[in-house]
Amino acid sequence: MEYRRLSDVVWELPARDGMAVPGIIFASEALMELVREERALDQVANVAHLPGIQKASLAMPDIHWGYGFPIGGVAATSIEEGGVVSPGGVGFDICCGVRLLASNLTEADFERHREAIMANLDLRIPRGLGKGAIAAADLLPEVLLRGAAAAVDAGYGWQSDLERCEERGTSTGADPSVVSDHAIARGRGQLGSLGAGNHFLEIQVVDQIHDPNAAEVFGLAPGMLVVMLHCGSRGLGHQSCTDQLRLMGPAMSRHGITVPDRQLACVPVQSAEGQEYLAVMAASANFAWANRHVLAHAAREAFADALGISPERMGMRLVYDVAHNLAKIETHQVEGRPVQLCVHRKGATRAFGPGHPDLPEDLTPVGQPVLVPGSMGTASWVLRGVADNPAFDSAAHGAGRVMSRKQAKQRESGRAVRDHLEAEGISVRPGSIRLLSEEAPYAYKDVDEVADVCARANLAAKVARLRPVGVVKG
Amino acid sequence: MAHRVLAHTADTGIEATADSLASLIRELLLGMFGLEATIEPSAAQRWITLRVEAPTPEDLVVDTLSELLFHSEIEDLVFCDFRVEMDRDELAVSVEAGGVPVGAVEPEGPPIKAVTFHDLVAEERDGGWYARVYFDV
Repeated sequence: MEYRRLSDVVWELPARDGMAVPGIIFASEALMELVREERALDQVANVAHLPGIQKASLAMPDIHWGYGFPIGGVAATSIEEGGVVSPGGVGFDICCGVRLLASNLTEADFERHREAIMANLDLRIPRGLGKGAIAAADLLPEVLLRGAAAAVDAGYGWQSDLERCEERGTSTGADPSVVSDHAIARGRGQLGSLGAGNHFLEIQVVDQIHDPNAAEVFGLAPGMLVVMLHCGSRGLGHQSCTDQLRLMGPAMSRHGITVPDRQLACVPVQSAEGQEYLAVMAASANFAWANRHVLAHAAREAFADALGISPERMGMRLVYDVAHNLAKIETHQVEGRPVQLCVHRKGATRAFGPGHPDLPEDLTPVGQPVLVPGSMGTASWVLRGVADNPAFDSAAHGAGRVMSRKQAKQRESGRAVRDHLEAEGISVRPGSIRLLSEEAPYAYKDVDEVADVCARANLAAKVARLRPVGVVKG
Repeated sequence: MAHRVLAHTADTGIEATADSLASLIRELLLGMFGLEATIEPSAAQRWITLRVEAPTPEDLVVDTLSELLFHSEIEDLVFCDFRVEMDRDELAVSVEAGGVPVGAVEPEGPPIKAVTFHDLVAEERDGGWYARVYFDV
């Protein structure tokens, strides 16, 4: 794949062979070296074929080979120009995302109660293959319509949490009536469950502050104990994407659209099929917002049980909740004028800068928190949105895998990975010890470098670095 | 008849060959659920039956595997034994799938979220059938 370097951390795939726009990759030399070893660049080029795509097919610093879109892919299509929406640009785990809870606890508090906290989380966080859920199935209809707000009304979490959720925890335009019976059936037993694979709940310590002002606004301080969790819409979202992809094949023919990979199936945003997909996607996203809300509630209760102090007294307020698998209708400047776009972020985080009207008032001066988790044994980052982001207000979503699951398993056993982490002071409660090796730290890129490139490329600015001390793994 | 696991940075895939489309789908089902756990076919305790039809062999592969994933999650079963028969007049298969309760299984891989269309192949090749399927995990 032919490409050229435009600047320190910006690379271009020139438009060719049917690409409507070029590809742009934000990466350092070292990260680009990893990307060129796999097929992610082909996928950046494939996304550039989407009808109505604007400016470029973009890739974040944590880009790696996905299915259809690369993981870390961003594509914005112009609605007025017949631009498309593609379920593959969102992925099966619709509205997968990350949530961060603050506290007024310290690492010393954790050390005093480490075993009790880990045991309580182990007990209270459903995870892995077929391991139940926290919330009752009868909450589902309301959740599909109102997301995290429905969870709050049912007694999970705090009302004030909603102000610190992207979209305030409710995706608008949801229509539960177009969610399939299959998807509903899968969702009924999974509201308040972590899943498996790369999903986790981590206890972390704030070990570096890079932007004291933004950190203060976000409610973060050096040495603070925080809780991060990563999960999405579970089987309900997976089934919804499967259902919609099945419908979009014939619909593409009707609209005269062809794409280089069937996983990029798409239809015009304004078509009946496009509107139906967005309604199903929003309902699935609402499941995901609520799922993280319910799990965060369980984490607060686990801490309360372990320490004998209420979550309110421990100051376990929500720092922020971000999605990194969604398509959103947003207005951005294109060639000097505001254009309504469908912005796909597949493994990429929305990153609104200071002053954006969709941010809550207290975050407006500093921009949106952007949460970038690392792997079990490495750091995670809190970044913030900045002005003049070159990627439709998007930034990285994680470290990005560098090693296949098979390779990772062959390198070390799950027990060896756990022993290494425990030796580094990181308590581990895996859903399955055998699966732990697939998510070993060496299977991922250097998250510090990803955060660094985000800053150098003006995708987001560094606020705080977080270090893990406890992991509950799916 | 054979299948093998394909490397993928984030997800995983299966490549399979067989002498008929029905056998190919059976091989893919063995491969897909084999990613989650290794279970002897004789261990199957509960059986389900279903029928899937589709416009193309590729769609038939994706739809059949997707439908079994759905039943696996709903029935809390990991499937390990399959009987697949083609319809005579339509592009459709009837599947009997036997499985073991999830709680009795030691997982060897994360649950498969979905069957993708990425780089999908299901075609007649060299006098038999060949397929390549990637999964989101």
